[in-house]
Amino acid sequence: MPAVQETVEQVRRIDIDQYKYGFETVIEVDKAPKGLSEDIIRFISAKKQEPEWMLEWRLEAYRRWLTMEEPTWARVTYPKIDFNDIYYYAAPKNVTGPTSLEEVDPELLKTYEKLGIPLREQEILAGVQKTRVAVDAVFDSVSVVTTFKKELQQAGVIFMSISEAIREHPELIKKYLGSVVPASDNFYATLNSAVFTDGSFVFVPKGVRCPMELSTYFRINEKNTGQFERTLIIAEEGAYVSYLEGCTAPQRDENQLHAAVVELVALDDAEIKYSTVQNWFPGDAQGKGGIYNFVTKRGDCRGARSKISWTQVETGSAITWKYPSCILRGDDSRGEFYSIAVSNGHQQIDSGTKMIHLGKNTSSRIISKGISAGKSNNTYRGQVSIHRKAENARNFTNCDSLLIGDKCGAHTVPYIDVKNASAKIEHEATTSKISDDQKFYVMQRGIPEEEAIALIVNGFVKEVIQELPMEFAVEAQKLIGISLEGSVG
Amino acid sequence: MNMQTTSRLTAAETALVEAFAAQIGEFPGNGAVIGTRDRLLDDLKKGGLPTRRIESWHYTDLKSLLRQVPDVTPVAAVDPITALVDGSKIFSVVQGIADPKASADGIEVAVYKNKLTDGSAVADLAALGNDDAIGRINGSFVRDGFALTIPANIELEQPLELQVLHAGGQIHTRFPVSFGAASKATIIERHRAVTEGAALVSSISDIRLDDDAEVTWIIVQQQGAADTHLGQIRVKLGRKAKLRLFVVNAGGKLVRQELRIDVEGEGAELTLRGVNLLGGESHTDVTLMLGHNVPHTNSTETIRNVVFDRANGVFQGMIRVAPDAQKTDAKMACNTLLLSDDGGFSVKPELEIFADDVICGHGATVADIDSNHLFYLMARGVPENKARAMLVNAFVAEIVEEFEDEKLVEALESVISSWLERHA
Repeated sequence: MPAVQETVEQVRRIDIDQYKYGFETVIEVDKAPKGLSEDIIRFISAKKQEPEWMLEWRLEAYRRWLTMEEPTWARVTYPKIDFNDIYYYAAPKNVTGPTSLEEVDPELLKTYEKLGIPLREQEILAGVQKTRVAVDAVFDSVSVVTTFKKELQQAGVIFMSISEAIREHPELIKKYLGSVVPASDNFYATLNSAVFTDGSFVFVPKGVRCPMELSTYFRINEKNTGQFERTLIIAEEGAYVSYLEGCTAPQRDENQLHAAVVELVALDDAEIKYSTVQNWFPGDAQGKGGIYNFVTKRGDCRGARSKISWTQVETGSAITWKYPSCILRGDDSRGEFYSIAVSNGHQQIDSGTKMIHLGKNTSSRIISKGISAGKSNNTYRGQVSIHRKAENARNFTNCDSLLIGDKCGAHTVPYIDVKNASAKIEHEATTSKISDDQKFYVMQRGIPEEEAIALIVNGFVKEVIQELPMEFAVEAQKLIGISLEGSVG
Repeated sequence: MNMQTTSRLTAAETALVEAFAAQIGEFPGNGAVIGTRDRLLDDLKKGGLPTRRIESWHYTDLKSLLRQVPDVTPVAAVDPITALVDGSKIFSVVQGIADPKASADGIEVAVYKNKLTDGSAVADLAALGNDDAIGRINGSFVRDGFALTIPANIELEQPLELQVLHAGGQIHTRFPVSFGAASKATIIERHRAVTEGAALVSSISDIRLDDDAEVTWIIVQQQGAADTHLGQIRVKLGRKAKLRLFVVNAGGKLVRQELRIDVEGEGAELTLRGVNLLGGESHTDVTLMLGHNVPHTNSTETIRNVVFDRANGVFQGMIRVAPDAQKTDAKMACNTLLLSDDGGFSVKPELEIFADDVICGHGATVADIDSNHLFYLMARGVPENKARAMLVNAFVAEIVEEFEDEKLVEALESVISSWLERHA
């Protein structure tokens, strides 16, 4: 298994304090002053050349947000965030909509290079068009370059930044934005609704199978800038789209806030597959710094026989607060959630999913694998809810936790609510460490301890890795290895 | 997690506050006990009854579910009933007042009222944290009960039955029971309505098992269809102590049963079995908070629920493994038969684990009767309603049959089958 070998090498090579992606690109940025007020929101909206209704939408969310309280129910602790000490807008200056790579700031290209991750995307950016992945790269808050746009257009797929979409497709935005995650949904989603600066918009029309996997690499670059992404993906009747999201961020001392909102809408017979690899800076070995990742992700299986599948590999961020959910509204719709959450050092993860069964014959499947090491705490929090009218709903949930070391915590908090007798719900959870027997079995075949553990860990998460698109799977395995550095052996 | 402060009290909260004021001169207790009662009521008044915003009350919003509190009624003449298991020694508490003559050979018995009066009960009255609404209510209002001590090395041949009977009104009882080292005993705690008048019952059993003690504790809750039952059991297990805890809920309109268990001695073992039979418009919540606090301890929990009519059920099972509690082995299962589209069941099996060398797991299922099983019986000529009844019965009887004592199995089976006959 070469991938395993690679993981082990990565682990050996990289120390947690030498966060690979901890560099800072020096580019001039256009920044709004720190703090949040109606003026800042007007500034953001004006910068984005948004129509009046969008500004109104933001302001309404902002006013709502002022009345809301920060949620405290998650098992995470952090110093109080001063929302007035954050820049809400920062955009690289030199962008006036580049159409070719030559127009892109070379500093940016260097950044992509340094990212080092599967940058097939980088090849694309460099003009090597042998792979077919379209990238809408978000560099701080503005989409810098969108590739393959034309080809997608031919298929009828709209893939652009949300800001562009607000200008170019206001009818779709008006119809769908906030229809899955309402502007008043929760503290962070409402904040996002007020100040979101960029993100992706995908629209796959009726009957179209998106010809390539869509991908966005988010990067938080500017110091102290909250990143407020807004992603909206719509698959019309019978459409299919697979979307990849991956993230790295430079090393920082101050904590950075990330409060994104992702909305997915699947109409009749449509399918959306959303995969995430998240490896933002988790903080150093003393627990200093790192990203606060407070994300609201929700998919709406609005049509009959629609399907939404979330796959996530969470290895980064100091604090993760994230519950990609499915509302199974259409009859015979299906929701899936596959997750690997790895925590090490002082990381805190509180993540899981919600499957809300509303339609008849809906089914859902949850596979969650949590790995805790170091002094981290890793919580699975999930809800399966079968409503009164959801005849013949079916759910299977499996969440396993693996503990490496005796200073970490693994927690499981499932909520199961059933109001229909025809439902069939199964939930199982286990928590254990790598058993000495397993380790002995592998090691007595001449495999060193560290490698043995990597091998066992890889086996533990295999079920989820399988769900990832091929290129992502390799990266994910590497990341898990890197994340567990210093905790094994 | 704090109870939020509320300026306006609900009708039930007001009734509790007023009931307290009305009885203030009559409550047994010395100065320290009275002071504690005042503080607990004050906390209750300030915090209000818990709402779903408090995580451990997520599915039982007591503030909105507890609509009214019955008046405190004078002691009615209620005759004791026969023991659940033949030959048991009965310790009867009628309408909240313990029988001062109750005794049994070989054990120390004190009427709890006397412990309140002389102040020796004061330490136990404290609530177990901010979410302990039952502790607050019971600590404020408790009037009587029994304090039992089973001395070391004593083996009780016959079960002891704590028989709590009521005919409506308010009943607040407490049962501190300690089991000496290597003692063996079976206790049946029985809560039963003998009339149809609505009752509010709060009852706390404070159980301590010293090293090597082996105890079977059975709770049979058979309250009336209009009753509120707020039960709590606080357990501490010593070294190599073995507790088998069996809980049957077969009555009540609003039931909350808290099992707060701390495993504090190495080698200790807990076996928890629960049967919840839910019908009518009832709401029944069984909440387990189990702490494995030391290394090398085991526990298994199996809860079986059957839901008819418009009933709602809740099981919350939190297992906490402390940082040094290595080699903990904890397994929990909660299975529910949901037989009505108007009913509902919510499960929250929680694991909170801070030690790495442990084996912990939980499973939860919710489903209707398996159609294959039904087909199997019906294909053999069993009519559908009978086949269903057989399957429901088998589903819960399975865990009753784990007891070796035949008399006990029979008694519990009769509680279950008589309930099922009335509801199925």
